Amino acid sequence: MATLASGVAVPRTLAVPRRAAQLKGYVLVLPAVIYVLALLGFPLALGIWYSLTDTTVARDGHFIGLKNFVDALRDPTFKLALRNTLIIALVATAAKITLSVGLAFLLLGAFRGRSLLRTLFVLPWTIPVALSTIAWKWMFHSQFSVVNWILIHLGVIDQGIQWLGTPVAAMFAVILVSTWRAVPFGAIVVMAGLTALPADVLDAARVDGANWWQRFARVIVPLIAPILFIAILFDLIFTLTELTVVYLLTGGGPVDQTQVLANYALQVGVPGSELGLGAAIALFMLPVLLLLTILALRTIARREGVA
Amino acid sequence: MIAESVTAVRPTQGWLWARHWRRGRVLRIAALAVYTLITVFPFYWMLITTFKQNSDLYSETNNPLWFNAPPTLDNIQYLLEQTRFLTWMWNSLIIGVGVVIITLVLAVPAGYALARLRLPGAEQMGIAIFATYLVPPTLLFIPLTRVVHVLGLSNTIWSLVLVLPTISIPFSIWLLMGFFKNVPFEIEEAALVDGATRSQAVFQVVLPISRAGLAAAGMFAFAISLQAFLYPLVFTSSTAVKPVTLGVVTDLVRGDLFYWGSLMAGALLAGLPVAILFNYFLDDFVEGITAGSTK
Repeated sequence: MATLASGVAVPRTLAVPRRAAQLKGYVLVLPAVIYVLALLGFPLALGIWYSLTDTTVARDGHFIGLKNFVDALRDPTFKLALRNTLIIALVATAAKITLSVGLAFLLLGAFRGRSLLRTLFVLPWTIPVALSTIAWKWMFHSQFSVVNWILIHLGVIDQGIQWLGTPVAAMFAVILVSTWRAVPFGAIVVMAGLTALPADVLDAARVDGANWWQRFARVIVPLIAPILFIAILFDLIFTLTELTVVYLLTGGGPVDQTQVLANYALQVGVPGSELGLGAAIALFMLPVLLLLTILALRTIARREGVA
Repeated sequence: MIAESVTAVRPTQGWLWARHWRRGRVLRIAALAVYTLITVFPFYWMLITTFKQNSDLYSETNNPLWFNAPPTLDNIQYLLEQTRFLTWMWNSLIIGVGVVIITLVLAVPAGYALARLRLPGAEQMGIAIFATYLVPPTLLFIPLTRVVHVLGLSNTIWSLVLVLPTISIPFSIWLLMGFFKNVPFEIEEAALVDGATRSQAVFQVVLPISRAGLAAAGMFAFAISLQAFLYPLVFTSSTAVKPVTLGVVTDLVRGDLFYWGSLMAGALLAGLPVAILFNYFLDDFVEGITAGSTK
């Protein structure tokens, strides 16, 4: 206990507790670590093993090396899924970041109705994604699409678009729903960064005669860059592995034209019961995800002053 | 920082808009209006669909934006009487409560130890735990199906009670570490000096002070369990064991036939409470996500 009592004033490095107290501390952490290792670490390892075997629901597999990955790469549907996953991730992330920054600036400053607006704006992010996606599916209905009705009455189009029935429109719909859902979160993260900006730096820039754009590009962006960077990495990780929107909105269709890796892995692995191949498809992005995760953690650690 | 709303606005920020206020004002209001419309429209669409008669819904000539026939409660009635909606809501509640309990029981001690006991490597461990939050369910559902099967939990709500905390525990530890760090050491020491044991000090002093953090972690775990879709989809198949987000979007579709009125009613009735709950602790969530970078 003495170490705890002396802990506040003494620099961190000197306040190393006794071994017994330390041990107790680790014991408090252990149950959580075991739980996560058992149900997250172990399945991840099992999934990697599956991806190297010909396991199906019916039988335990044998080690077949990288055959699943080679087979996947020869599969035209897999190629489509890989292409679409990358397109959706890149386009949606770019759209989300642009709109998030825009919305954050729109909401900046005190004005009447701001807190009500914020509550409304976060709705897309707070409602369970499956439920909002099903609403969008109804809005994009082949016969009674309200989106078409509005666009026709605004004079934007002459004739209804088959939103979920034509490849380009269906990709657009998937990206739209994914973006619609994520922008509020991005905006709030950017706002958190903006409110933390040191006012004196900004005032100095203004006094120095910087115009609005210069202040935005030279002062604000560099200051919120780290938080923006973390938001982008998070978003990429979740968009690259997103499944719900595609599963419910298009089912990967028309004819696999909006198929993505996660949804294809689900089709192959669960109803198709080819666990090995399904795991390989699901894990295909692992190296990229690993890289993104390491980047995100390094950024966080640097800001926490650890690394 | 935690108690303070992350979106609170300091008066000094007025400068961003002050100079261009008049010129930008019209544009800004227009942009906000357009954005509000796009944000809110799907919810309006759910609402009006819920109360429309089928003849009104499935007509190509009617104005879809308003009622062309008297509003009806048929869709809600169908949802409540012809589907297991209330069972699904109950399942979601049980799953949510189970996930909250497991999450708090495991995350509170871990968060406390990592934040306050000055363990060597605690910061790195905290970050490593947070890293597991970034492992997406998409990578895990195939092997987890096998794990759930071996444990005899296939097609039960308990499979979800067991598995969903893997998402909420890492984030909750991270969140709680932030809250626990903010409790002044002097308060805990004073309790120890007064003769309290360490655990008394924790339960009577530290935890009550951190109750906002406990609430945030608990609500986060609850919201996560209600947001989940992939795990319910692969672990539960019988109507009677589905959580509400899965039940609504699967059982109101029969082959090619979508019961749009009842689907929207279900989406609204199940979705809005979650959305409101989530909104309530949004600031704490963002604080956790952006950890440290807003200080």
